[in-house]
Amino acid sequence: MEKQSRREFFKTTAIVGSAIAGLSSNSTKAAPKNILSEDRMGVLVDTTACIGCRSCEWACKTAHGIETQSLEKYSDRTVFKNMRRPDVNALTVVNEYANHQNAQLPTDVKIQCMHCDHPACVSACIVGAFSKQENGSVIWDTKKCIGCRYCMVACPFQVPSFEYNKAINPEIKKCDFCFERTKVGKLPACVEICPVEALTYGPRNDLIKIARERIKRNPDKYFDYIYGEYEVGGTSWMYIGNQDLRNVAFPKLGDKPAPGVSEAIQHGIFAYFVPPVSLYALLGGIMWITKNRKNSEEE
Amino acid sequence: MKNFILLNVVIYSIVIFSQSKLPKNHSLSNKLNCKTCHVCEVPTKKDPCLVACPRNQMVTVYQSADKTVNIVTLGELSKKYDPVVFFHRAHAQMSEMSGGCVTCHHYNTSGPIQPCKNCHQEERKREDISKPDLEAAYHRQCINCHREWSHENSCISCHELKKAGKVSQKIDVKKIKSKDHPKLKAPEKVVYETLSRKGKFVTFYHDEHINLFGIKCINCHQQENCSKCHDKGKPTLTQQLYNLPVKIHKSADQHHKPCFSCHSEDRCGVCHSNKPEGPFNHAERTGWALNRFHEKLSCSKCHGNSDKFAKLDNKCESCHKNFAAGKFDHSLTGLKLDENHKDLDCIECHKEKNFSNSPACDNCHEDKSFPKNKPGKEITISLKKKK
Repeated sequence: MEKQSRREFFKTTAIVGSAIAGLSSNSTKAAPKNILSEDRMGVLVDTTACIGCRSCEWACKTAHGIETQSLEKYSDRTVFKNMRRPDVNALTVVNEYANHQNAQLPTDVKIQCMHCDHPACVSACIVGAFSKQENGSVIWDTKKCIGCRYCMVACPFQVPSFEYNKAINPEIKKCDFCFERTKVGKLPACVEICPVEALTYGPRNDLIKIARERIKRNPDKYFDYIYGEYEVGGTSWMYIGNQDLRNVAFPKLGDKPAPGVSEAIQHGIFAYFVPPVSLYALLGGIMWITKNRKNSEEE
Repeated sequence: MKNFILLNVVIYSIVIFSQSKLPKNHSLSNKLNCKTCHVCEVPTKKDPCLVACPRNQMVTVYQSADKTVNIVTLGELSKKYDPVVFFHRAHAQMSEMSGGCVTCHHYNTSGPIQPCKNCHQEERKREDISKPDLEAAYHRQCINCHREWSHENSCISCHELKKAGKVSQKIDVKKIKSKDHPKLKAPEKVVYETLSRKGKFVTFYHDEHINLFGIKCINCHQQENCSKCHDKGKPTLTQQLYNLPVKIHKSADQHHKPCFSCHSEDRCGVCHSNKPEGPFNHAERTGWALNRFHEKLSCSKCHGNSDKFAKLDNKCESCHKNFAAGKFDHSLTGLKLDENHKDLDCIECHKEKNFSNSPACDNCHEDKSFPKNKPGKEITISLKKKK
């Protein structure tokens, strides 16, 4: 509820802002490097297949050169006692939630960057370091990054993390959809290692069809909802499960792209420099009036 | 024009003929709808437009679990680990109460059993991603049940790591001791303490239902969870059931469902009572005591198939169609009729053919009565259990 009212607040502000500027809030401008290819890739996460072995966490760390313990140690299930978030030392984590249909089979959900089709981080990045690539990945250029952490604030899934522990040259870290691997025709590390193929890598459009087919064929097994199909304008990573994942692992988000609101405010306020010019004109006017008044008092 | 008509006739007849006669591998076509396997209206040889996987709608091969192959080694994909020794028969026996062969063999056509790799590709990076790859197909069959009861998901719970530097050892199936699922220990009786105000207790004689009434396990236990019997840390089910009585723990509907397949028309009092009840008693339940001949028989001998026992009247002839003079061997009752009585009609002694009353002699003899006088010689008979 709180989030809703916050959103509502932003919406109203946007309308007011654009009304001042004399512009419609609907004219959202696309972020500069946001390529949205028809056959962009994605991953379908079938949480009914996921067994919570956390091999994906190990594979991710190994592929990204993050220090890790041996794979065998990952079978430790005590980590599920706490909810974890991706951070600089783990770009993806698996959390476990109770399954009310069958208490013996908890629901395991892997989380990482969702690779939005309309990424808020791309929009929020003031130096244009972030970009949505043709294959669906949302990546960033560390050389351009100035460490402002706007991306962290903008992300509706709160995914990007920052190396706070580094004093010199700290970097932003998040899942990069194994861009370096997919570039050379390999699968993302997590998809490759998953023993039950709970992660299916393929063209996003095909994945939606497959997800629908699975739900249709097994209406008792699946909750009829594909998380990520429409969330914040659609994401490359999509989830199906035996329960509504919006109640357990993910936030309830609308289907409007996340940058829509923030961009409308930014672009609205600064469009054609009308608001700054009018603000200065107003201030100048006040100055002129007070000066006139002083002059008349002196006389 | 003539040629054109002729050509049309030929074409149409080919089309009609080719549709009416199905190609090979359609032995199931009389049982299945075309749509089960084909997506389009008119499948052709070139474009059969097959459904990705019709799964369990196709199953035709049913084999008794005890006759299936004992051990299967799964080693096609072994890179890091040794091949898995899979006790197939033990699993098949367990599956009888939870879905049967179909649980794993979900694509089982009329021919031989299909190996998984016929449909599931080995490569994870592949064109057709609608089906899981081979590794996932194997793992999905096993892990969900295993983690349900063992709460474990580590690789080494099934796989053994390959010894470093050694070539994978070949597993000699003959050396492995065969492993059957141990015989299930069924409880003799279970007393349920229900929430019902009238008739709080339901005494369920499990052994009677199996041994006496001849009901098969699968009639009630159809989609049992593995963890019902196997759950590390929980007392086993039979242990739980011997601690009497069992409190109701499911909804009333769920508890009634397995019973209602037979008891749907019975009154509540048939099962519900204010105290735990004794075993099944034919005299109490039906008002007709079983005599020494009948008490040895299995229920189905008189009442037909255990799916639905038929109600019978108490007339002997309803069952004993051969109760007529000359046909019935009276010595079976322990009384061998003498020469004078041998050929008499039953009705001469047994009035109105009611065999439960004592026979009457007054039809012919004024001075004789049963059992003081007997129409023959008493013999000892051995009661053999008839099946």
